[in-house]
Amino acid sequence: MSTQPVAEDIAANSAGASAHRALSELVPALLLSAAVLVLWELAIRLFEVPSFVLPAPSAIVASLMENRVQLLAATRSTAVEILFGFALASIVGVAVALVIVRSERFGKALYPLVVLFQTVPKVALAPIFILWFGYGLTPKVTLIVVIAFFPVAIDMLAGLQSVEPSFVALMQSVGAGRGEILLRVRIPHSLPHLMAGLKVAITFSVIGAIVGEFAGANAGLGYVIQFASTQLDTALVFAALVVVSVLGLAFYYAVEFSERALVPWAPKFDAMHRT
Amino acid sequence: MNVMATIDTTHPAKPAAAGESLLSHICARGIAVDYVVSGRRQRVLQDIDLSIPKGSFVSLIGPSGCGKSTLLKVLAGLVPPSEGEVTVAGLAPGEAAKQRMIGLVFQDATLLPWKSALENAAFLLQTADKSIARKQSLERAGAMLRLVGLDGAEGKRPSQLSGGMRQRVAIARALALDPEVLLMDEPFGALDAITRGEMSRSLLDIWERTGKTVVLVTHSIDEAVFLSREVHVMGVNPGRIIETLPITLAHPRTEASFAEAAFTAAEARLRKLLIEGHARRPS
Repeated sequence: MSTQPVAEDIAANSAGASAHRALSELVPALLLSAAVLVLWELAIRLFEVPSFVLPAPSAIVASLMENRVQLLAATRSTAVEILFGFALASIVGVAVALVIVRSERFGKALYPLVVLFQTVPKVALAPIFILWFGYGLTPKVTLIVVIAFFPVAIDMLAGLQSVEPSFVALMQSVGAGRGEILLRVRIPHSLPHLMAGLKVAITFSVIGAIVGEFAGANAGLGYVIQFASTQLDTALVFAALVVVSVLGLAFYYAVEFSERALVPWAPKFDAMHRT
Repeated sequence: MNVMATIDTTHPAKPAAAGESLLSHICARGIAVDYVVSGRRQRVLQDIDLSIPKGSFVSLIGPSGCGKSTLLKVLAGLVPPSEGEVTVAGLAPGEAAKQRMIGLVFQDATLLPWKSALENAAFLLQTADKSIARKQSLERAGAMLRLVGLDGAEGKRPSQLSGGMRQRVAIARALALDPEVLLMDEPFGALDAITRGEMSRSLLDIWERTGKTVVLVTHSIDEAVFLSREVHVMGVNPGRIIETLPITLAHPRTEASFAEAAFTAAEARLRKLLIEGHARRPS
């Protein structure tokens, strides 16, 4: 048969170049950020904006350095909440998807409830969890699970159900049962979908942790933000926001890198480079 | 075709090849299939009689909606007939499939994206036969990949293969079961014309080397004539066989076969039947 250009060649060519390209891709974004920061700094100094309204970038950096011990401790508690919450949300989401696929009758009962529950504004549940579970780790983890399990469940479910019916027929024709098809075909097939759900879930987890801390806490970055704002220490609020963003980014990329390691066959969705 | 005897010495398409079994390998009598579509019973297949000798190559051709894919699914045991009887190698199709006598190939290769070509080719065999050692199943799959012309592609993932190569893996996967019959539902339907031609010649080669009984569902008149010993032309409303055309082209068939008078005649006849089958819609 004739040799045809296949995806591999293209992938091989771009593999080496992609790191370099990724860096050069960042240049415009970095330039824009730098410009915004310089303008911000100049505007604050020029118009003499009071620091409690909007601190200059230099003041935020100074606050970061000054409060680094407190911020580090707060980061640690928030990170623990995110980790526990995200792990539990993933387990719950996967379990819900598996139950819906495995048991048709139970799935029919469960699925509408899951969707209905998704329409509840879960941020509003935070005070209730504080009421039930106090000020510790539990209410934050519960809130994260409630917010973040849904994208995991829905994406995993879509993955489990997207196996081609003709392939299922093929498996059945040689005597494979539902359980075997689930284990050997549906679950591996759903992994790229699951990873997409996990990426959404990790960003939800960060939001859940901060909101949970707003509702009532004595530690964590959300607590720092709230406490600092009551003190009109806006520079510290912004410093904590910077840390939250960095933390969220780190968690997101941790999931993204584990995706590349765990499901290397997953289609890469690179919005900027689709031809 | 109305010959229903299991031993069919008057089979119209039977070339007088010596030493060939005269047993009908796939036998269908009075098959009808009803689908229930939004509460209404609809007959999609009616009065299907088929008698396909062992080692033969038979095509089902017909317009869209004539039920040719459904008929193939009946033969594969995937759709139970509402009326009539089917046997494959003397067994009910479902049973024959469980005993690895039926190899199936669909229009989509339906390969598992996380597995290599070799593992994909071995996957169904491993599913069907739990007692087979992994090494042995991979060896058999490897041999089948070589048979379909994929030497060197064993380690590649489906995303690294072209459409034609993926379909070859699907054929190797079916052959790895060492089935008695190969049922193919428009296996080259999604491929470009040049790849289709290559795949046709490959399939002919595979058939000649393995001696499997092949039933091919196709839209392509060329493909049907070039490959088959017998073409069943199907009509619509309800789906039925309107004529069975023996193809008298000499074997082995090559590029030169396309120029033979028998080819042109069969092609013209099929074209006429298809147009009639499409126009004649008894309701």
